[in-house]
Amino acid sequence: MAEVVLKNLTKRWGGFVGVDNQSLHIADKEFLVLLGPSGCGKTTTMRMIAGLEEPSSGEIWIGERMVNDDLPKDRDVAMVFQNYGLYPHMSVFDNIAYPLKVRGTPKADIAPRVRAAAEKVELTHLLDRRPKALSGGQRQRVALARAIVRTPQVFLMDEPLSNLDAKLRVSMRAELKHLSRELQITTIYVTHDQIEAMTLADRVAVMNHGVIQQLGTPDEIYNDPANLFVAGFIGSPAMNLIDGSIREGHFVTTGGTRLTAVRAADRARVVLGVRADDLRVSEPGEGDIDVPIYAFENTGEATLLTVQWGQQRVIARGDRHLRKEQNDIVGLSLNPDHLYLFDPDTGRRLTA
Amino acid sequence: MTGKQKKAFWNAVQTGLIVMATLIMLVPIAWIFMAAFKSHVDVYQLKLFFRPTLENFALVFREPYNLGEKLWNSTLVALATVVIAIPIATMAAYSFSRFRLRGETVMLVTILATQFVPAVVIILPFFVMFRDVGLLDTRLGLILVNLAIVMPFAIWMIKGFIDGIPLDTEEAAMVDGSSRLQVIRNIVLPMAAPGLLTAGIFCFILAWNEFLFALILTSKDAVTLPIGLALFKAEEGDLWNLLSAAGIIIMLPMFILALMIRKFFVQGMTMGAVR
Repeated sequence: MAEVVLKNLTKRWGGFVGVDNQSLHIADKEFLVLLGPSGCGKTTTMRMIAGLEEPSSGEIWIGERMVNDDLPKDRDVAMVFQNYGLYPHMSVFDNIAYPLKVRGTPKADIAPRVRAAAEKVELTHLLDRRPKALSGGQRQRVALARAIVRTPQVFLMDEPLSNLDAKLRVSMRAELKHLSRELQITTIYVTHDQIEAMTLADRVAVMNHGVIQQLGTPDEIYNDPANLFVAGFIGSPAMNLIDGSIREGHFVTTGGTRLTAVRAADRARVVLGVRADDLRVSEPGEGDIDVPIYAFENTGEATLLTVQWGQQRVIARGDRHLRKEQNDIVGLSLNPDHLYLFDPDTGRRLTA
Repeated sequence: MTGKQKKAFWNAVQTGLIVMATLIMLVPIAWIFMAAFKSHVDVYQLKLFFRPTLENFALVFREPYNLGEKLWNSTLVALATVVIAIPIATMAAYSFSRFRLRGETVMLVTILATQFVPAVVIILPFFVMFRDVGLLDTRLGLILVNLAIVMPFAIWMIKGFIDGIPLDTEEAAMVDGSSRLQVIRNIVLPMAAPGLLTAGIFCFILAWNEFLFALILTSKDAVTLPIGLALFKAEEGDLWNLLSAAGIIIMLPMFILALMIRKFFVQGMTMGAVR
């Protein structure tokens, strides 16, 4: 158990910068999620911590040690790979036992520890099988068991759920969360799935272009996005981003609609961000604006209304019993407590 | 014709074609097989029924043919070639597969390019060189020559198999606590085993059948089986019955080997192919 500290970590391949001068302090027992689109540098960051990739510059500390020059085997970490990385020529038992065997654990200790790890992930009945004879979810469990069979300083998980089907992913996610709370080991988890990030993390680091865009609790990331990238990346459906300006203290869309709900200092160009949940759907005339429906979607648990607002399309979430038709006119009101203003040039959040 | 009849018809055509192809391929072998058990008089007649004799097999091991000596040479040379080639080729293949080396492509192509040179062209330099260092007509000399022949194939074949092992698996093993050597021993070698076996057999066959170099570079002590065949000549012409018996002796180990490792061989071939 240990904290992990990254100091000005950079990874370059020729002219391409994969990870750009990142510093990050991960507390002992923390569950930190690196979240971002593919190619944002999150996996590279993790691979550098594991020792599978050499940093171009910067320092990696695990506990009291700088591990830059240590081989992966000497870093005392355990890793779960996206494709599991199981040993196909070994039984499940031998797969799980491998980290113990190769580190010279006494023979008598191995079997009980493998059994204990297998029990935690409900694999005990499959110990004699080969990985080939297992389903995707079971393989994932083997990879997990292999990681938890030792007590490493740090767990590294590289998109461990992304090869599973949607249903299994949800149940494995819950199991992962349960397991991580039980084991209390510092964990770094890489994913591009924001739901995984929101549900599993103590803190989330949202990355893009090799740079951490925002570091915070899932709450902060969702309700207090630091910039346009985070605002657009987190949340499903994505946050509505509306171009306009602030005139005489109020937001005016490029189409000329004035919204009194938004108050701020005058500014020539701003982007207004509002989540689908923070738009209330009402009858025409009862909201801040009246807009025609471009598309009406019923997801079962809610309804999604894409409306044509001047030049832009905006998505609002409606009650699940709401029924509307295309081209119907609805009223929309904005929740003044959850509106975000961004600078369109820098992408930065503007504070009122 | 109904659909069912059509299908049956084409099945019959296919079977017929396969049988024909098989016959065409097997006829020479069948001829050799029969000739090996025929007496000297029967050999030149296409008799299907004759009194089989084992005398030919006894004769080839006696003076002046001494096939046993050549069998021993062939076995020793081919085995030594494989035993030396496969570990070295595996190390080379692993490096080519897993590390980014300076001039990697050039090296790989050069290795293969050595095989583009016709053997006849380089055999004279070999002869002169071997004469000067005293390797003419020695088994060691033959082993060295065979190594030069089989190594490029072995490296390329084994590299194909190692390329097919997911990098994830190796990285997992490293994070799990293995050194690079432990990764190779515990993970790479077992996973590449069918490929190593395939490459090994391939090399053995190449070395076992090698003719040209053995013909030029050996004369008496290190003569191998294929060269030994040329001895079966007499005033009355080729001794086909003895030649055939010796031919069977050359084929037999290949045949047994192939049967024994058929499963791995197919697995190895397809594993290389899928990649």
